[in-house]
Amino acid sequence: MRALRFVGFRRSSAVTDINDSGVAGMPKHLILVFFFGIMGGSHAVFGAPITFNTALPVAKGEFVFRQQFIVSRSGDDPSGADRDRTSQAAVSVLGYGVNRKLAVFGVMPYLSNELKINAGATRVSRSAQGFGDLSVFGRFTVVQRDRPGRNFRVAPFFGIKAPTGEDDATDALGRLPPSVQVGSGSWDPFIGVVATYQTLRYQVDSQLSYRANNEANNFQAGDIARLDGSLQYRLYPRKLTGGVPGFLYGVIEANLIHQDNNRVGGIEDPNSGGTRLFVTPGIQYITKRWIVEGAVQIPISQDLNGTALENDYVARVSVRLNF
Amino acid sequence: MNLIRAPIMALVLLLSPPSAYAAANVYELEVDGLACPFCAYGVEKRLSTIEGVEKVDVELKKGVVIVTMTAGTALTENQAQRAVRDAGFTLRGFSQIQRGD
Repeated sequence: MRALRFVGFRRSSAVTDINDSGVAGMPKHLILVFFFGIMGGSHAVFGAPITFNTALPVAKGEFVFRQQFIVSRSGDDPSGADRDRTSQAAVSVLGYGVNRKLAVFGVMPYLSNELKINAGATRVSRSAQGFGDLSVFGRFTVVQRDRPGRNFRVAPFFGIKAPTGEDDATDALGRLPPSVQVGSGSWDPFIGVVATYQTLRYQVDSQLSYRANNEANNFQAGDIARLDGSLQYRLYPRKLTGGVPGFLYGVIEANLIHQDNNRVGGIEDPNSGGTRLFVTPGIQYITKRWIVEGAVQIPISQDLNGTALENDYVARVSVRLNF
Repeated sequence: MNLIRAPIMALVLLLSPPSAYAAANVYELEVDGLACPFCAYGVEKRLSTIEGVEKVDVELKKGVVIVTMTAGTALTENQAQRAVRDAGFTLRGFSQIQRGD
């Protein structure tokens, strides 16, 4: 039970994603994109948004790769224990186009987690490093509307997080709390839908997702529901000329994340879970072969239960490769 | 100076393989949905897997892809359609803009 108090809010799942209309069709598609946005999303994986997925295609028989580096800090502890948690993650994502509609993805994080806490008169640091839980999922395009210089797509996805990371690491003080372990020990399915509207000038993405976390080691993290939205606007070149120039996008994203209370031994922990809203400014440079990008998720609202630990920020940089 | 250059050029042409100076078949594909550089690469790669394709040039602003074939080879609309579709986009138009020898 004590370990649960350390957890607060568990490691963000974010470590981990017109044939007819002409200009007059734009608002309809934008409305649909925002509709899916209003309804959530998870798994930062592939495509143009930085903190979540996209519905853009992966060509049949082709691979795409993404390497993310993520630093997440949580502090501002209301419990008086002065907890301070830092998670550094290197997240590798490989996507493969099975056919023109179906793409499959694998996500493998390498994590370094540390929790500092006051224990009596001393400051204690507890940490773990290693490969985390592997996630695999498939994404299937159900709506595709292509027009000259723009497209609209809707793609549901479904996957599972496998317990490949170590979930029973110990230190001199005993077994590490779940918020420090690099693996959860449980098989956790997730489902969602992502919508994308893309033009030569800008792109809008929105994602709704849900992850059902299961019990392992007498601990069950709360389920996570997410709603994500992203706008990417081309800043350079301001005017398109010939060929395929590199695009510099200014990015603004929003992530609304709700997590249920954790459970220990089947009993709900009142000091866990809650709702967070992040606003995420970022920058992205896109070429034919690669993308480099960076963003900082800034919490602007955190309505958390009890003494759950607040996020300070989540910083991300990543590269993506077409090969 | 021209007295030297002319025989050299003639020699180069004589020694060059036929494909170096024979006109190739060139096609213009109008592709709907192309709107970012990263996606353009998928179309390029799928078209490049077709036998005889020598060069693929994407004009993102116009939404067209220019496919240059090696001498003596041709691209069919069906081949182009399949490649563009496999890349996740839609072929709207197909035309030959240069006829090979």
